[in-house]
Amino acid sequence: MIEIDRLSKTFPARADDPPVEALKDVSLEVRDGEFLTVLGPSGCGKTTLLRIIAGLETFEGGDVRVRGRSISSPGPDRAMVFQSFALLPWATVVANVAFGLELRGVPKSEREARAHELIELVGLTGFEKRLPGQLSGGMQQRVGLARALAVDPEILLMDEPFGALDEQTRRLLQEELLVIWEQSRKTVIFITHSMEEAVLLGDRVVLMSPRPGRIVDIVDVPLDRPRASAVDEMAGSAEFARITADLWRRLREMQLFRRSAREPRDPVGIGA
Amino acid sequence: MSVAAVKSRQVHPPGIGLGGLVGRVGPGTVGLVVGAILWELVGRAAGLSFFPPLSGVVERLAELTAEGKIVGNLVNSLTNLAIGFALSATVGIGLGMAMGAYRKAEMALDFYVYALLTAPTLVFAPLFFSVFGPANSRLSILGVIIMYTVFIIIVNTTSAIRNVPAPLVEMGRSYCASERQLFLRIILPAATPLIMAGLRLGMGRAVKGMINGEMFIAIVGLGQVVTAAGGRFDAEGVLAVLLVIITVAMVAVKLVQIVDRRLTGWLPSNARQRRRNA
Repeated sequence: MIEIDRLSKTFPARADDPPVEALKDVSLEVRDGEFLTVLGPSGCGKTTLLRIIAGLETFEGGDVRVRGRSISSPGPDRAMVFQSFALLPWATVVANVAFGLELRGVPKSEREARAHELIELVGLTGFEKRLPGQLSGGMQQRVGLARALAVDPEILLMDEPFGALDEQTRRLLQEELLVIWEQSRKTVIFITHSMEEAVLLGDRVVLMSPRPGRIVDIVDVPLDRPRASAVDEMAGSAEFARITADLWRRLREMQLFRRSAREPRDPVGIGA
Repeated sequence: MSVAAVKSRQVHPPGIGLGGLVGRVGPGTVGLVVGAILWELVGRAAGLSFFPPLSGVVERLAELTAEGKIVGNLVNSLTNLAIGFALSATVGIGLGMAMGAYRKAEMALDFYVYALLTAPTLVFAPLFFSVFGPANSRLSILGVIIMYTVFIIIVNTTSAIRNVPAPLVEMGRSYCASERQLFLRIILPAATPLIMAGLRLGMGRAVKGMINGEMFIAIVGLGQVVTAAGGRFDAEGVLAVLLVIITVAMVAVKLVQIVDRRLTGWLPSNARQRRRNA
């Protein structure tokens, strides 16, 4: 479905900052209908990777192909859900959900009918005429999800979509995302910094490390589907605990290694 | 002067029913009424020819109107104001958008805009007058109005475009918006609140520019009436015209506010509150 082939991306130097090697030789194949989660510490290039797949970011080396075709710009086969929701504050819930279709020139009655379907799917019936500022964070991200689903993309790109939400809201939305995904079986790439979220949602977890951003490992999640109805049992299982603990151990090593690499051995020069 | 007497008088009458009054007619109206009463009392107590009480000013305003000095000149001034403001808004929003969108345009023009925004604008009046001559005094006045108005609109529009949230533009791109769609569907509506704030400030300055220009050039409009009254040491006449000018300014700014409200009704009420208090 998506082939990422030896992808490299360097952000050029700016003012006092040296150039940043955001991605180095990243290769990855995303399967059709797969829920892939990408996990890594901040600065590991996971969001850059997603933005490149979305066509929002250029890259220097390598290639990204969707169904065999190299991509360099956004396309109707991909839709993105943003961490900051990115809703139009002047538009109602219906207009926001229908926005992608509006840009494509779908007639008003048709796109609004479609929007109403998705508003029902994400549980926002009764809030159609509200503005985003009148909704809670969780409800706003439901709108963001409905907007992405409305254009019926093959691939759903989710950039830490629940990262700005509180714990309880996040859990509810994770469950609902599972319900929706298990019905539609779209290909999903989901960026997160939470081990639990990565394991709970993903078929596979891509583990990335920073500076330069590269893939360290791809971990299979051997938990049964459908998971939506059994989230609590699953999150309490030994298997779940083992995988998340293992991921945390490796993330922690990365962070500790980073710190020791940055600090000089003799910081105050006593030994000199 | 019996300051104590004035003070006790101004405190007592409104003190009786202030709470009830505020509840019924709003603090704005109460403020106006109290101000009017104060003006009248202080004017009478002072008894100075250059500080006439309100009633004298209103009387004089009625006389001037009857003499036909207000209505015709007011229409004349308002025409200047409308044309000058429309030109300023068009040029200001256009240039401001170019400067907000293109770094190079901003870098090239930034200095001039801020220099002219902070310059004492009235110095341009004699300049325009010598360029256009007495036969085209309207052009000179329009020039002054535009110099007063356009730069604050440019500055606000530039920052309006610059402050469009990047994630919204990004979102539009990710949903394959064309450049035209990005501008019309995302950038323009997102920039509207700040652009309207610039227009509101611009309108206040336009009224100032209109009167200052007319006073300097002194051939037409309300500015000419003020200058003439001033020359006769007619304080009541000067203040009478000032009342008209202030009313014009308030109505003009109110009109911009009404348009603003229609366009930016989506702003959360707390953001609107913050903007108004600022």
